Amino acid sequence: MALLLTSLCRYLIPVLLALLLSPVAQAADVTTGENPDTGLRYWQWHAGDLLLKLTQRLPDQTRAFFLARGFNAKQSDMIATSCVFQSMMKNTGKNSVIELDLSKWKVTHGGQQQTLHTREVWTKLWQQQKADMAAQIAFEWSLLPTRQTYLGDDYNWGMSSYGLKPGSRFDLYFSWQRNGINHHGRINGIECPADIHPEPPQ
Amino acid sequence: MKNAMIKRIIVLCTACLWLCSAFAGQGLSPVNEKPVAPDFSLADLDGNTHKLSDYRGKVVLLNFWATWCPPCRFEMPSMQNAWLQTKDQGIVILAIDVGEDEDTIFTFTGDYPVEFPLLLDRDSKVIRQWPVRGLPTTFVIDPDGRIVYRAIGGRHWDDPALLDKLRELLPSRAPTQHQPVSKPLQK
Repeated sequence: MALLLTSLCRYLIPVLLALLLSPVAQAADVTTGENPDTGLRYWQWHAGDLLLKLTQRLPDQTRAFFLARGFNAKQSDMIATSCVFQSMMKNTGKNSVIELDLSKWKVTHGGQQQTLHTREVWTKLWQQQKADMAAQIAFEWSLLPTRQTYLGDDYNWGMSSYGLKPGSRFDLYFSWQRNGINHHGRINGIECPADIHPEPPQ
Repeated sequence: MKNAMIKRIIVLCTACLWLCSAFAGQGLSPVNEKPVAPDFSLADLDGNTHKLSDYRGKVVLLNFWATWCPPCRFEMPSMQNAWLQTKDQGIVILAIDVGEDEDTIFTFTGDYPVEFPLLLDRDSKVIRQWPVRGLPTTFVIDPDGRIVYRAIGGRHWDDPALLDKLRELLPSRAPTQHQPVSKPLQK
């Protein structure tokens, strides 16, 4: 009996604890498509009260946005060509608490793994370059916050930057907490928007 | 070329606003422990100064926004409707623009006419004193100056159920006329 209890403590309990504490992979509803008017593609993922939608932003659209807010051409181009998506996160539940930390998300491209270019990464760069202060404020608030807690019905909208060249394909591994429990999900084959310059029809 | 680009941008903006509408929820999240709202003093577009603590005794809907933010634009018309319905009931709406100048906001009001005060936080000093991570974020402040509700993302502010939640916070005999203290409102 004593041997059985010792074995339980030694093997079974650590295994159970590991199972309890490891992130739960969610069976998700993933949709992807293309806006027929703009030609821009989107990836939407929904499971366990978390709705995540990434829509391509044309580099030209992003360039124009940041030029208009005080960045110089070089800085605007740097943001525009860093694989920027219009991103939406929503807690679709009524009573759950969802916590996101984008600094833990991983981008896999060409066998390499990297993190997102979060507000903090960019802020350091703008401070080094002594970028225009109004531009820095606009940039900070237009990018999705790195860490945020979403209560029922809360949603946020902002740009997210993945630090890859235009046209690159990548897989996104993302994680979140729902009511204190870790979850994770994955979207494969996301495409960074290409740096195209559309011409009018002849 | 330029026309095609402008058309494309208009389509993108329309799609953005449609998506905002589709995503907007109706919930107000209660704020635990009801902290005292950080005070501020900011000028509106007309140069009138608004000090938050001067609105004690009223319910304040305080919105942080920017003109470039799609959900902020989406919720503005409903906020104007809410203001029309509640302005004489002791409910005040203040919308703080973060980081932009008068000209930008003035141009915006050409497309989105609103009558409640639009305040300017050009250097973002005020927003940094509040628990805000993204725009729009809105707080409801009770007549004692405490933060009681919070909403992240756009809402349909003229929704009757949502307005009832604001009215429930009013003292039984609320004052009916709002006056900023530093300078009277222009007529």
